Amino acid sequence: MSDSQAKTTAELIETKGKWGSFIKLYLVVLVIVIVTEIIGIIKIKVGPGSIVLLPMLYAVVIGILITPDVLGKVIRPLRKLISMPEVEIAGSLVMISLLPLGVKYGTLVGPNIVKIVTAGPAFLLQELGNLFTIFLALPIALLLGMQREAVGATVSICREPTLGVIGERYGISSAEGTGVLGTYLMGTIFGTIFFGLLGSVAVFTGLHPYALAMASGIGSASMMTASSSALAETVPAMKDTILAYAATSNMLTGVTGMYSVIFLGLPLVNWLYKVFTRKKQGAE
Amino acid sequence: MVKARNIGNELKALVVVCIMILIGQWIGYGIKPWQAIPGIILILVISQVSLIIKAALPRVKFPAFAWASLIALVLSMPFMPTATWFLAQTGQVNFLGTTTCILAFAGISVGAKINTLKKLSWKVFIVAIFVFLGTFFGSAVIAQIVLKIQGLI
Repeated sequence: MSDSQAKTTAELIETKGKWGSFIKLYLVVLVIVIVTEIIGIIKIKVGPGSIVLLPMLYAVVIGILITPDVLGKVIRPLRKLISMPEVEIAGSLVMISLLPLGVKYGTLVGPNIVKIVTAGPAFLLQELGNLFTIFLALPIALLLGMQREAVGATVSICREPTLGVIGERYGISSAEGTGVLGTYLMGTIFGTIFFGLLGSVAVFTGLHPYALAMASGIGSASMMTASSSALAETVPAMKDTILAYAATSNMLTGVTGMYSVIFLGLPLVNWLYKVFTRKKQGAE
Repeated sequence: MVKARNIGNELKALVVVCIMILIGQWIGYGIKPWQAIPGIILILVISQVSLIIKAALPRVKFPAFAWASLIALVLSMPFMPTATWFLAQTGQVNFLGTTTCILAFAGISVGAKINTLKKLSWKVFIVAIFVFLGTFFGSAVIAQIVLKIQGLI
């Protein structure tokens, strides 16, 4: 699918002959961790609530900034530290470093298991809410002049399972493939930043934090974490339930996500595409 | 397939990540590293086990992250004899403390994609924002309604 998948994770984390790259990368990340933890959590008071900025948010921004195509272009010595081999390794280390967080999520869900089973109907039905994005984003994509790209770009939040489904159905170099890759890439680059801010701002809508917690489970562990941790820090009294709900919803999306795209999302987006484009032609 | 060589490499990476977590939460949340050692070892072992399970069951499309959550979930359920001890130990490892290095790696890994991003049109940027908002609030509204009906909020 993407370039990095040409090499498997096992090959990428092979340390033999690449010790230099590993040591450089680990040192850089350690410095980022130290700096971001020293800055700590920042709460900005806004009206009745607050916007919460977490160390992880600064970490992703610093991480992006120091790559060879961003600040590395301007500050040459930076390229000696972080260049393409280090960038490649970093990709596979995301998967590894997510595991301790996965364990922590388990310890949040476990003690609340009864509470979560009770909320089962809400968990299952809110998965259907992901389809709402088609009604919202497809018209906007068409208004902006997109054509079949719009179908791929708005069928879902376009994480890996959707990429697979669209790739198989239309081919990844098709118009639909271009669309799905666009949203996928936007999510990969800006997703955690966007959801890290949205998680705490969303409280202002008046929706209950538990509902927002369920909504955070969109099928990407890092985006769910960004969103739910910001939400949890904004409403600290409900912290444990928020994190447990978000983790559960994310697991559920992981299981249902692909089927939802195949059986509901794709037929729906294609039907709506026809409805809108027919109207447009009729008007002209 | 489970290979000793891969396990070795994964373990090296996990050890480094766990050390970073200990340092990070020491600075950020004042948790002394030695206090958290039993907890971080438990977390390390479960992480490695979940990688092994994933390698052993390639047909099951369940990511290692989900296996790690599932194992910890089972060990911490109220009626499990392990729950109290397991939660006390892993409780010494701060939740937010585990997130910083993930996002640092994630940020750096994005570096390979910046040039592809420049090729995309500005339209993709706007559409993606609405896709994010639609997915999030679509789910939130339904969850709100159902939780209200159930009397849970």
